[in-house]
This record gives sequence, C-alpha cells and structure tokens, in this order.
Amino acid sequence: MALKTPEEFVQSLADLHLQIYLFGEKVDDYVNHPLIRPSINCMAMTYELAAMPEYEDLMLATSHLTGEKINRFTHIHQSAEDLAKKVKMQRLLGQKTGSCFQRCVGMDAVNALYSVTWETDQARGTDYHERFKKYLRYLQEEDLVADGAMTDPKGDRSLPPHQQPDPDVYVHIVEKRDDGIVVRGAKAHQTGACNSHEIIVMPTIAMREGDEDFAVSFSCPANAEGVSYIYGRQSCDTRKLEETDLDVGNMRFGGQEALMVFDDVFVPWEHVYMCGEIEFSGALVERFAGFHRQSYGGCKVGVGDVLIGAAALAAEYNGVARASHIKDKIIEMTHLNETLFSCGLACSYEGVKMPAGNWQIDMLLANVCKQNITRFPYEIARLAEDIAGGLMVTMPSAQDLADEKIGPIVEKFLVGTCDTPVIDRMRVLRLIENLTLGAGAVGYRTESLHGAGSPQAQRIMIARQSNLNHKKELAKAIAEVGKPWEKNRVKKPTAVAG
Amino acid sequence: MKVVYCGGCNPHIDRETVAADLPQDDPDVPRGATVHVSGCLRACASDHQLVAEGDGRAGAGAEGASAGPERPPVIVVAGELVDGVPTPSSELAAAVTRKLKE
Ligand SMILES: Cc1cc2nc3c(=O)[nH]c(=O)nc-3n(C[C@H](O)[C@H](O)[C@H](O)COP(=O)(O)OP(=O)(O)OC[C@H]3O[C@@H](n4cnc5c(N)ncnc54)[C@H](O)[C@@H]3O)c2cc1C
Ligand code: SF4
Repeated sequence: MALKTPEEFVQSLADLHLQIYLFGEKVDDYVNHPLIRPSINCMAMTYELAAMPEYEDLMLATSHLTGEKINRFTHIHQSAEDLAKKVKMQRLLGQKTGSCFQRCVGMDAVNALYSVTWETDQARGTDYHERFKKYLRYLQEEDLVADGAMTDPKGDRSLPPHQQPDPDVYVHIVEKRDDGIVVRGAKAHQTGACNSHEIIVMPTIAMREGDEDFAVSFSCPANAEGVSYIYGRQSCDTRKLEETDLDVGNMRFGGQEALMVFDDVFVPWEHVYMCGEIEFSGALVERFAGFHRQSYGGCKVGVGDVLIGAAALAAEYNGVARASHIKDKIIEMTHLNETLFSCGLACSYEGVKMPAGNWQIDMLLANVCKQNITRFPYEIARLAEDIAGGLMVTMPSAQDLADEKIGPIVEKFLVGTCDTPVIDRMRVLRLIENLTLGAGAVGYRTESLHGAGSPQAQRIMIARQSNLNHKKELAKAIAEVGKPWEKNRVKKPTAVAG
Repeated sequence: MKVVYCGGCNPHIDRETVAADLPQDDPDVPRGATVHVSGCLRACASDHQLVAEGDGRAGAGAEGASAGPERPPVIVVAGELVDGVPTPSSELAAAVTRKLKE
C-alpha cells in the first residue's frame, strides 16, 4: 500500500463514521465541520509534506520491518540521526501549520511500546513484541494515524487506581475471555483522537500491587464498538463558526483534544500488549513521556518561529521595527526558541540503541527539554504581546471592518505604517492573539505546561538522574574537603601585614 | 580481555573499580572478550549501544549476532546497566563476569 494523499486521508477519516459529540450533539459530517476541519487540515499536512520531494528527507523514513519508504510518523527510530530528524520534521510542521498537528502522540507511543514489549517478553516469556510488530507493519503499510492514549481522568489523585470510588476513572480490564479482553474507562485530553484511524492505549502511571487490571496496553480501531469522543472546547473556538476568516487568526489550521470513552470495548488478544504486568507499566509511561518531551523540542519551536515572525511583522506595521528594545526582544525570543530546539536535538544525539534494537532519547536531556518548554513559550508569548500592543485584544471585528458605515472608520483609526494595508495589520494581530490566548494557545501554552506531563513530573525525573553524588565529589575534590588543615602554615598577605 | 572506557564526563558508577574487579587471566573467560565500560546510560564506550553489535552470544539483544566460537563476547556496562539490564553498581563486575563465562 502506497503513502496516502491528503485527500485519501480525509476520505478514510470520513469512512470511519466515528461517534463524535460536540455541544451536546452527535456530529455526523465531522470532516466538514468548521470547528473540527482546521485540525483535520493539520493532520493532512503530515501527508501533504510527505509527498513533496523538498521535504522527503525529514518526512519519510525506511521501515526496518519492510525496507519500504514510510511516513516518519509511523517509523521506529533506527539511529540518533533518525531521532534528530524527527525533531526537525516536527519543527517544520509547526512552521507550516502554526498549530499542534497531532500525529506525534501515536509515533511516540509505538516507539515506547517497541522496547517495552520486547523487554516484557524477555522477562515473562510472553509474545507481545511479535504481536506489536505485526500491528506496526499494518500502521506503516496503510499509512495510518494512531492516537497515543495515556492520560486517564484519574479522579482523586491521592488514591491508586484500585482504590478509586469509581474504578472507571482509569481504563481497566473488566473481563478476560479466551479470545481477548473487555475494557472500560476513558482517556482525557486526547490530541487528534477524532482524526485517528487507530487508538493505542497505555497506562498513565506506574502501577503497583492491586492495580493489575489497570496495567493494560492495547490497540483498537478508532471506530471500535463502544468507543466515543466528546470534543474538547478551545478558547475562542466559536469564532470558527463565524462566516469570516479574519477573527480566528489561524483559519486553516488548529489543534484538537477530546475525552475518549471506552464503554466495554472488546479487544482481541492479538492487539493486547500489556495485561497485568505492573512492573513494566512505569517503563512504558517514562518512555512514552520521554519521547513526547523530546517532541516538544520540535513542534513548539516551529510554532514559536511563526509567533516570532508575527511579532516582527507587527513591529514593522507599527513602525517600531528599528527601535533597539524591539530588536532586542526579537533576539530574546529567538534565543529562547533556539534553546528549546537545542534541547530537542541534544536528547536525540545523546540517544542510545536499546536492546530491542530501536533508538531512544537521552531521558535526562528530554526532561530538561520539556521543563524549559513549560516556561519559554510563556516568555516568548509575553514578548510577542508586548511588541504587538493592546490592539491585539481590543480590535473591532471583521464584521465591523466589512460594514459600509463603520468599516471606513475602523480603517482610518487602525492604520499603522502608511504602506501596510489595515487588513494585513489586523491579520497579524489576530494571529498573535490566536497563539497567545486564543485557540492556538491551547497547544502553545497550556499544552506546553501539562502535555507529556506536568512540570513536577519532569523534576522528579531530573532529580532521579542528576548524579548529585558525583557533583558533590567534584566539589569536594576542588575544595580539598577532608584534607588535614595545617593552621600554623597560614600567613597574612604581605600588604595587610605591612 | 579488553576493557574500553567511555570518556568519563558524567560517571554514575566508578568505572575503574568495575574494571579492576573483572576476572584477569581466567581460563573460563573466552579469549578476545571485550567489556565496554561507560559511566552513564549514554553508553559512549560502545557507540551509544546498550547491547553491542557483533556480540557473539545468542540472545544478546533483538539483533544479537549469531553465536559462534569465532566471535568472542562483547559486554556493555552503561551506568547501572549490563547489556541493558538494570544492575546495582556493587554487582556490575559480578554480572559481567557471569556473562563472560556463560
Ligand atoms: C492540550 C493538551 C493535550 C494533551 N494531549 C494528550 C494526548 O494526546 N495523550 C495523552 O495521553 N495525554 C495528553 N495530555 C494530557 C497530559 O499529559 C496531562 O494533562 C498531564 O499529564 C497532567 O495531567 P492532568 O491534566 O490530569 O493534571 P493533574 O494530574 O490533575 O495535575 C494538576 C496539578 O496537580 C499536580 N498533581 C497531580 N497528581 C499529583 C499527586 N499525586 N501528588 C502531587 N501533585 C499532583 C500536578 O503536578 C499539577 O501541578 C494533553 C494535555 C493537554 C493540556
Ligand atoms: S503538541 Fe506537538 S508533539 Fe504533541 S501532537 Fe501536537 S504537534 Fe505533536
């Protein structure tokens, strides 16, 4: 099967007839729904760029299973170079969409499961890895999108899964049969779930004794019986329902998150990759999170490129581009953005080949990458707002601009430098609004904070790998701690003594 | 037996102690064996591989080369991992020795 075209992707999505609910109603023609379509366009871009020779080096890879050219989003990384190309591909897509393009979670899930299934088999004599490779081949050959579903709703965070008053707040096995398992529960905040052909479920935390039914990983078609989606709202989302492209800021592209519900879904054994092996759940969580923390060193940087460009344009249109403090702010935004990219590349180039044969990022550096991501986009956004001026949040609407009577007044007073059309000034300011506090801010800000784990999750991983004892030994050696002190050899400096 | 060290910029383990505790002139250790000793999980001594390519032992990683008498063992220590298996630092040399004699 060849790579899909963007059109084939959209049609294949429509053919799934997913159970999607939005504003309390079931949406049948979801691929043409104005609130959903921008997110589909983003996903389609992962197909479009893959067909363009000028992006092939980043977008395509060679499958280690079949030797065929595949979309990199379905690839198992085979070298440190592959890991770096993944980050560069994500930067490219962030630049082309100015948004979260959603396909990364599935890529990160398959790469985490690849080594964990192998290690489970070595320890437990199971055959998860072969099952998983068969499934992976299917994803690659059909060029499919998989949703990486890790985060459970979690209920009372102080209680383990098996002690929750309602166990359904964590996805769990309700029945084991000869031919498979039946699962129930939900996954929250699922990026691109309604734009996926397949769902890959993983546990959300390291499971302990008593949590065996919650230590479950499997895949199922996105339209499996019992799976439904409640579409997540985004800031200013209903602007997409207005018959104008101006006020949305980014009309063609957008992110997507959904609450995905499993109402007694049957999964055949051939698609089960973990079933009660609690001791491997922690590794799966850490590896998926690690790969996704690396991902942000690409995608958020690409969106940052768009925001920096928009801020520079706003400065030009306002006539302040040559002011030294503006230039300095653009430099600071660039410095922060490239620091994030450096982290994404560093954890890639310091990656290792796992015993399973795939390549994995350096965990410490991936967590440092994500910790910076929880901060720098906020500062970049603050500087963009500073440069844009207050108009980005007080500007009249597209309808006002189009109105026969009000329009000329709006044009008269929203003028910037005289060679800039007012409409273009408004477009750029709306884009900055979109990314800093509109629909785009879901991906650029809050997802930067919580996506792939809240900041504290990275700090725990950083503490675990910080090698503090070694640092203390280094300091002791330099400071000569423990060396006998010969007090009587102390002399006053000559100048003071004199 | 050959010991290959990483550069030593970030050691989580005492590499020299691990190397010193490996068996010397032990007739049960195949001739030409190599032990890569990296201070941390980045495994620089073995070119970032947690299981060495060209290792002659069967089952040494998913892509372990086929076993054969002409291919001596290659073991990777990377921080507290021996061939990718978590191992406390005090037991690293013993774990390597066991593998060398397998
Ligand atoms: C836009 C967006 C997209 C996302 N996409 C995906 C996706 O595609 N797939 C996926 O699986 N997940 C996705 N996530 C989920 C993301 O991984 C979670 O948001 C994150 O792990 C935090 O979980 P939470 O939202 O439940 O917040 P909480 O876990 O409730 O965290 C809120 C605060 O409570 C603290 N906290 C939580 N538990 C404890 C505890 N036990 N002890 C002490 N402090 C605690 C946290 O540190 C944090 O400060 C996405 C999130 C966002 C915002
Ligand atoms: S947030 Fe970034 S890494 Fe995650 S799915 Fe969206 S674009 Fe990909």
